[in-house]
Amino acid sequence: MSSILIVHPDRKTQRIVQRILGVTGHTVDIADDLEQGTRLIAHLQPVLVVIDGSAVMSPRIDEFFAAAKARGAEACMTLLGGSAVEQVPKILGMGAVTNLLVHPMPVLAEELTITAQKLIRNDIFGAEKYLLWGTELASTTLTRASQRADLVAQISNQIRGQGQSARVASMAMLVADELLSNAVHNAPVDAKGEHYRRELPRADELELDERHQVKLRWGCDARYLAIEVTDPFGSLDRDTILRSLAKNDVREHGSGAGMGVALAYRSCDHLVFNLAPGKRTEIIALIDVRHPPTERLAASSYNVFVERS
Amino acid sequence: METRGRMTIDAQGDALIIGGAIDEAAALHELVGRAAGGRLVLDLAAVTFINSLGVRDWIRMQAAAQKAGIAVELRRVAEPLVHQLNMIIATRGNATVTSFSAPYACDNCGREESLLIDAFANAAGLAKMEAPQMPCPECGSAMAFNDFPERYFSFLQP
Repeated sequence: MSSILIVHPDRKTQRIVQRILGVTGHTVDIADDLEQGTRLIAHLQPVLVVIDGSAVMSPRIDEFFAAAKARGAEACMTLLGGSAVEQVPKILGMGAVTNLLVHPMPVLAEELTITAQKLIRNDIFGAEKYLLWGTELASTTLTRASQRADLVAQISNQIRGQGQSARVASMAMLVADELLSNAVHNAPVDAKGEHYRRELPRADELELDERHQVKLRWGCDARYLAIEVTDPFGSLDRDTILRSLAKNDVREHGSGAGMGVALAYRSCDHLVFNLAPGKRTEIIALIDVRHPPTERLAASSYNVFVERS
Repeated sequence: METRGRMTIDAQGDALIIGGAIDEAAALHELVGRAAGGRLVLDLAAVTFINSLGVRDWIRMQAAAQKAGIAVELRRVAEPLVHQLNMIIATRGNATVTSFSAPYACDNCGREESLLIDAFANAAGLAKMEAPQMPCPECGSAMAFNDFPERYFSFLQP
């Protein structure tokens, strides 16, 4: 029978995570450390393994990942509490962790449940999954590249009109601008996989035919502001994303390809990549509008979901 | 007033007033040619955001100023730019920040406000990562600094 395996040293967190993930209907197995987890996994067929951020730094992690993959585990999800935030760059640098949830422990049940359900059900698309029932999402389609500026300004005005702070509006503008720019200029690929619009000047006008149109949706449920951008190419892949998120030269030099994605990640609280290779890429940025910066961790969560065919 | 994409430039006194969004059309590096007496003074209070291409251009501007021996002074730096100065070390260049906006919140009435901090007048406290006391413009209560000082003021560290 398929199961979920949790590797976490803290008994209280083990119990909380077990209760949250138990609602998926899967058996939840628990290990205190990677050694025990590696032993257990030989007898299990986990659909999902959830490990603590501190375990990711263990020298045994590669062995564990290999064992999990060999047993068919779908994805590795890492939980990171307040004191472990400084490990984020190391985790990003590993390039193996596809789902990172950063939150003061005990973990936020919604984020954990949504991530697990998306992975288990293979139903990954849509910002609705992150917003409360009844939240309206505004929707529009870019048919010209120059619409980006107007749309970004429109989002900002609406957010301010809803009583959100200038800080939230500014973060939303940056994230929307980067994601739209990425979808218009970086996403399009030809049959050989060449990104034929990547080098075009961003200030130039481009008419976007049906094949190149980009869909933008956004909405706020008073917990999160969600900005969702979708392109019909599906050219963004997991490794490119993980490399972009881990970019050190952004901090040091502000340079390099993928800087837009790195900036968007650092400017929101949670960045979600939903990938259907060759069909579509959907990126959702979530900005926490409930808590002031002083009540949040100095790192952001991310997910990379790849639709199974 | 001059417009470059979403950005505006207006000369006022010894400063160039920059407003709107700094993006691929900004061509900020050209501003170095407008320095007077070896100084380029930018008033940045009205900047709403800066995207990744704007950041690259900003770094280019700082490099060009350094190469030409021009001192860059940044006045009334808006929060979105402070975030970039904190996030990307290269954006700081050799510029001097004389004042900048910072987030405050009032525990009494709930108002959130971006307030201007004089970096010179408050230099001693800022060096110790202490945010200056600010009264709420609405109810007069003392406002609390609404970010982590060690994160928000890190761009001021040498």
